[in-house]
Amino acid sequence: MPTSQRTSDPHNRTLLRRSLLTAAIAVMLLTAMLLVPPTAQASAQLQSTSTPTPQPTPTFDILRLEKPVIAADHSEQVKKGSILYWGICMACHGDGGQGLSEEWKDAFGAEDRNCWQSGCHGPDHPPQGFLIPKDKIIPAVAGSGMLTRFKNSQELHDYILANMPWWDPGQLTDEESWQVTAYILSLHKVMPREFELADTNASAIRTQSAVPQPSDDRPAVVTVLGILAFAAIGMIAQDLRKNKARGPERPNFFHHLHPPTIPALQARLRHTLGAGGLAVFLCLVLLVTGILEMFYYIPVPEHAAVSVEIITSLVPFGALIRNLHFWGAQALMIVMTVHLLRVVLTGAYARHRRLNYLIGLGMLVLVTLLDFTGYVLRWDEGIRWALVVGTNLLKTVPWIGDWLYQLALGGSEPGLSSLERFYTWHIFVLTLAMVVLGAWHIFRVRRDGGVAVPPPDQREDHSRISRFDLVRREALVMIIAGVTLLFVSYMFPAPIERPITQTLVDIENARAPWFFLWVQQMLKYGDPFALGVLLPAGLLTLLAILPYTLPQAGSHEFGRWFPRGNRVAQIVIVIVALALIVLTILAILPTPQL
Amino acid sequence: MKNISRRDFLKVSTNSLLALAGLLGLGGLLRYLSYQFDPTPTSEFDIGPASRYPRKSSTILAHIPAIVIHDDNGIRVISLVCSHLGCNVEERNFGFECPCHSSRYDLDGRVLKGPANRDLKKLRVEESEDGNLHVFTS
Repeated sequence: MPTSQRTSDPHNRTLLRRSLLTAAIAVMLLTAMLLVPPTAQASAQLQSTSTPTPQPTPTFDILRLEKPVIAADHSEQVKKGSILYWGICMACHGDGGQGLSEEWKDAFGAEDRNCWQSGCHGPDHPPQGFLIPKDKIIPAVAGSGMLTRFKNSQELHDYILANMPWWDPGQLTDEESWQVTAYILSLHKVMPREFELADTNASAIRTQSAVPQPSDDRPAVVTVLGILAFAAIGMIAQDLRKNKARGPERPNFFHHLHPPTIPALQARLRHTLGAGGLAVFLCLVLLVTGILEMFYYIPVPEHAAVSVEIITSLVPFGALIRNLHFWGAQALMIVMTVHLLRVVLTGAYARHRRLNYLIGLGMLVLVTLLDFTGYVLRWDEGIRWALVVGTNLLKTVPWIGDWLYQLALGGSEPGLSSLERFYTWHIFVLTLAMVVLGAWHIFRVRRDGGVAVPPPDQREDHSRISRFDLVRREALVMIIAGVTLLFVSYMFPAPIERPITQTLVDIENARAPWFFLWVQQMLKYGDPFALGVLLPAGLLTLLAILPYTLPQAGSHEFGRWFPRGNRVAQIVIVIVALALIVLTILAILPTPQL
Repeated sequence: MKNISRRDFLKVSTNSLLALAGLLGLGGLLRYLSYQFDPTPTSEFDIGPASRYPRKSSTILAHIPAIVIHDDNGIRVISLVCSHLGCNVEERNFGFECPCHSSRYDLDGRVLKGPANRDLKKLRVEESEDGNLHVFTS
């Protein structure tokens, strides 16, 4: 129907051309807009870390002795370090870390230029001053070829802690030494952005090689995003054109995965919302990005969070890969829920499709487990309490609780073997189960007669579309979804927090992952076993028995939204969905202060 | 090429955009995979004062790995990494033998028998200011 209306009359062509032009301009504007922030940031970074240019004549520059201004996107640690450096280190080591060079001496007032000959730092210095031997070279701490004696930032920190400031070593606390180290590394241009140096991760930050900043990737990502957006426009334009008739085309591998033709009515978005296909695409994205993350992720408690930080901050395009994996997983959760709602609200699970409904439900459980195990793999402070609560819930099961707990954790508390277990479940067992159930699910769709049965009044329409058109449409949906996912991943970073330490820290974020917020909210109301284990299990059972207990839609009702036949099931699932949404909102709302 | 239809133009340009994006993605993938996490291993070893290696002695330093030979010609340090494919050679009465492919070297590290066709590497030794010997592997 929709395609037959389109003709190639000149008016429509102009319209098409115009809309394409508008879309192209919009994409160009978007690209330009996206390109702006990184360059602005780059210049801000240059400002904060640029080494001062040597000045030919001695100039007393009071501004250079002022408190340094640090670009806003630097971490708190670097900012605090800059203040410490300014107060303690800068007089000798220079405002750009250049050391006590002639150029830096000239920045002082005339009476201070020969520090060690004037009273303050000469042999006869006053009590509050200190001696700088005349032949003492005060080294530069930043710039090419500097800091070579330190292999990594841990060594630099240890040196500063033990030896600086020169006149009173040991004055800095451990924390202050980290701050100064971070600031010096940022002067030296090897400090990754948004990275908190600590003894757990410092050995990963080397003092010599300049690390690629995530922002360095941004122009490249934007370029690819723009190219893909233009390609998407081209594909839309091709799809809109009538007269797709072409010479004989040889089906390729992807065509062969589809039936030769399917009824045209089945391919309509309003029946399927495209959710099933999108879920397949997201699974592919998750598979590829997940494999890439495995190249750098280390499933060991001491290294896990640090290796995630390294992927995010140091590896070229690592932040993008990780964001794609994160947002792909969030999107998959939503898309699967939409898919489930569509299937129930159109009564599509009736009769012989009951088995496939159960397979799909099984995949929903798998994805939930995959999301939870993947979330735990971060092994940072952000997941700590979700892990503790989630596994302690197992303990509440009568009789077999302790056994279940040890089965899940591989020990009597979260540790090395727990992480190893979560890793294996996540990357292998659950993923493999997903592949098996997914293939079975798709096979059953085809065996059961396609994605959706058309409504009765249209079943006489025997027009069919070929697999070539089908594959083209799938490619189109994929590229639009891909561009959207890339855009979201580019704009919004996936969360990461500091590595888990065994010390008692303030819990900044004890929130469950968003898809478990409803459980977290219910747990506030009473018995953990009843509300945290039995109730979710009961909900799942309720969903599973929908096709077996409640009345179903008759065949005369297929292809329509909200058929009369399974009205009860529709009401049940809408109530469940609303309850979960309300609980989630309650969990997000701040707790009233007493 | 003059008579290219609008449809073909659209198809060709779309496909080339997709190919370009794919190529760029491949480049990004290669950059992603080429990140080096481990720092380059040190190539300078402090092996202590020369007095630790008396005349007529040979000392194996397993962590380099190398052998320090002090004879009438002075102190020499010979690498114990086989010049063939990098296994560590083992001491024999005739000199050294590689356990992997049976290359043989004499006590001075000269090739006695292939497949290796280069002698064991002589490592540069320098005495630093504090009197310790420093061995350089590269």
